[in-house]
Amino acid sequence: MKYENIKEFIYEDLLPRVEKPGRYIGTEWNSIHKDPSKVDIRFAFCFPDVYEVGMSHLGMKILYHLLNDQQDIFCERVFAPWPDMEDEMRKNSVKLFGLESRDYIDSFDFVGFTLQYEMSYTNIVNMLDLAGIPLRSGERNENHPFVVAGGPCAYNPEPLYDIVDFFMLGEGEEQLLEAMEVYRKWKETKGTREEFLQMIAHVRGVYVPRLYSVSYNEDATIKVVKPVMEDIPQKVKKSVIKSLKGAYFPDKIIVPFIDIVHDRIMLEIFRGCTRGCRFCQAGMIYRPVREREIEELVEIADKLIQSSGYEEISLSSLSASDFSKLNELVERLVSKYKSSKVGLSLPSLRIDSFSLKLIQEVQKVRKSGLTFAPEAGTQRMRDVINKGVDEEDLMNSVGAAFETGYSNVKLYFMIGLPTETVEDIQGIADLTFKAVDRFYKVPKEKRGKGLNITASASCFVPKPFTPFQWEPQDPIDTLIEKQKYLHKAIKRKQITFNWHEPYVSYMEAVFARGDRRLCDVLIKAWELGCKFDGWDEYFKFDAWMKAFKEIGVDSDFYAKRRRDLEEILPWDHIDVGVTKKYLKSEYEKSLKAELTRDCRIACTGCGINLLQEGGVCK
Amino acid sequence: MNIRLKFTKGNEVKYISHLDLMRVFQRAIRRTGIPIAYSSGFNPHQEISFGAPLSLGVTSDAEYVDFKLAEPMDVQEIKKSLNNSLPEGIRILEGIKLGDSPKSAMSIVTHARYRITVNIENVAPDSLSKNIETFTAQENIKVMKEQPKKGFELKEIDIKPMIVSMKLTESRETMYIIDCLLLCGSKANLKPELLLTAFKAFTGYNIEGIKINRVEVYAEKNGRIVDLLEY
Repeated sequence: MKYENIKEFIYEDLLPRVEKPGRYIGTEWNSIHKDPSKVDIRFAFCFPDVYEVGMSHLGMKILYHLLNDQQDIFCERVFAPWPDMEDEMRKNSVKLFGLESRDYIDSFDFVGFTLQYEMSYTNIVNMLDLAGIPLRSGERNENHPFVVAGGPCAYNPEPLYDIVDFFMLGEGEEQLLEAMEVYRKWKETKGTREEFLQMIAHVRGVYVPRLYSVSYNEDATIKVVKPVMEDIPQKVKKSVIKSLKGAYFPDKIIVPFIDIVHDRIMLEIFRGCTRGCRFCQAGMIYRPVREREIEELVEIADKLIQSSGYEEISLSSLSASDFSKLNELVERLVSKYKSSKVGLSLPSLRIDSFSLKLIQEVQKVRKSGLTFAPEAGTQRMRDVINKGVDEEDLMNSVGAAFETGYSNVKLYFMIGLPTETVEDIQGIADLTFKAVDRFYKVPKEKRGKGLNITASASCFVPKPFTPFQWEPQDPIDTLIEKQKYLHKAIKRKQITFNWHEPYVSYMEAVFARGDRRLCDVLIKAWELGCKFDGWDEYFKFDAWMKAFKEIGVDSDFYAKRRRDLEEILPWDHIDVGVTKKYLKSEYEKSLKAELTRDCRIACTGCGINLLQEGGVCK
Repeated sequence: MNIRLKFTKGNEVKYISHLDLMRVFQRAIRRTGIPIAYSSGFNPHQEISFGAPLSLGVTSDAEYVDFKLAEPMDVQEIKKSLNNSLPEGIRILEGIKLGDSPKSAMSIVTHARYRITVNIENVAPDSLSKNIETFTAQENIKVMKEQPKKGFELKEIDIKPMIVSMKLTESRETMYIIDCLLLCGSKANLKPELLLTAFKAFTGYNIEGIKINRVEVYAEKNGRIVDLLEY
């Protein structure tokens, strides 16, 4: 059968042969379709994972509409095709296309990747290859798009230094439009690729790896990182929007046809976190804390409900219960939408500020699951990580939940934390048992039926820009031993125990704190068949190890090495606001299990308020 | 007040599943503000149900949805309002008010008519017609069917009793249009894809570019079949 064009071939011939063709159709409600001949800039917003994961990401929703609100820009979505689709594409010489237009993205102006987790990096390589775009920045010419990347992992951009033309560090709402303006100007000058990269390097938060050189010491640590040209900044400062008041938020969002991971409205109530948990990268890099005003939130919620038809709003932030007017917001939203059956959910609740009243309010429309994150099993361990909660907090919270009829709760823990001993592992089991006992203290007629506590233990991965950035990760064998111990210790019929694959966590640790030398390893691993590393069924540890061996890079150097506090770290030329001095002092305090207070109470001097003139903290 | 609407599922939405389609309607209804009734309980859901599910990749001129309203509303108004809120490819054609405790569309469907467009090289229209005749005249038509509820285990079934009619209606070069009326519903259900599999095996034809469109679904009423708005 002959088809008019490749777009029709994809739709009529290729899609019937793949699993979940709904991933690739691009005509979802509120998706934006423009006439490509009437725009000047075409942007492929790529999420290097499958549709259901990528479509659940709030940042993409915001930036997609932000760009499309510009008349001369057409931004389309691209996700990593699932392996069955990839096979069909390669067999039929179909290249990677934008979902909305089904045009190949190799002719676009920009191909932008969002870096949400390290284990998506091989998908970036794979997607570029599928698009027919040269993998390395230096191999691209004037006919190729610029490859740009942003998102939390971009704060250590080095493992992707030769793949991505430029990185955008920090918040995109203003910076992205500024970059587009630079592009318009550059296009007028008909300049070279190199000239554009030099121009864009002056935008706040933009890092162009090829404009920096790195040299190494004999022990393989970094000797010096410096710009190769005079007017290029020594340090790249992340971009920050001063206030969320009036900050861009779309009044419509795409409503997918197929079921996705987070299929609901995500209403961002505030950005940043003041708690200062020492393992948490998000808590450091998203500073300072900025709240959106209640009036604005209610207005945005209203528009989104109207335009999407969603039946649930999730109040999104790093720690919802820290929102200063949470009760008021919840009451207003619940009373407004109760009759139209719009449910509310709070994704992350701290166990010290969990309120029974609040949870009763939230579940007026729909009941959703409850997750608590004590993170560690003993008080000493929780103090090391500066979690700032105790056993009583947890007992009060789960107790309140059980008394309102909940019989299903999840508890999140980490194993492999710095200074951890077998007592701390046992503590996870003991604490979970105490939660079980707490359930049975609730009178039978008041409590729910069939208690099930899910205890999850993930393996700790030390991350850049955290007080633990100097710490080694536990060896894989140790993590497995700890998992086995805990699995045995926590066995009870009311408890479901989940754990994470330590091999994946190891690789995550390597890339999280990796440097430029990992870029070749990454490309090699992809050549050896690695992709979708975040998916257990596709993760190939042996192939990864082979890649390290062939390139001649020692992965343990990155995962298992304790860094000297004076060592130059691969991300030292990136400025996230929080200073290295502060991180060092937090690290030293952690080893003494000393707490640092929440900086909403009083400034702890992390440095973020010096990032911008005038300061941004309250 | 109970409503039944007839709608299309066009080429634009042929890859979304039955479950997806339900969500599309639920959200479109919420966007319009049509006063739909909700069930009571911990997780209230809309009082809405659909007729016979359609396979992925199949288009339709005649799908049916039933729902209950909490307050009365004019059917034409509902149609207009929903058509502004549904994605491309889904169009409400017409609708009726149902009685107080109506039988669901799902439970009354017995038949469905399909228009199957195929591409077959090296065959004359006459011999295709003839082959269809011989094929349907067989005593039994055995074919292996996947059983989704049993881990896609294969089972041999006889589809002959489920074929009411099958005939060639149009031919243009190598393109042929076959019309067929098949049993459809909870008692007996023959998917046109399975019919084609059996026909392929019988004739040895290389059938390509298959496009299937459901033309109508029917229910039995007083010994004859009528469409679901007439029922």
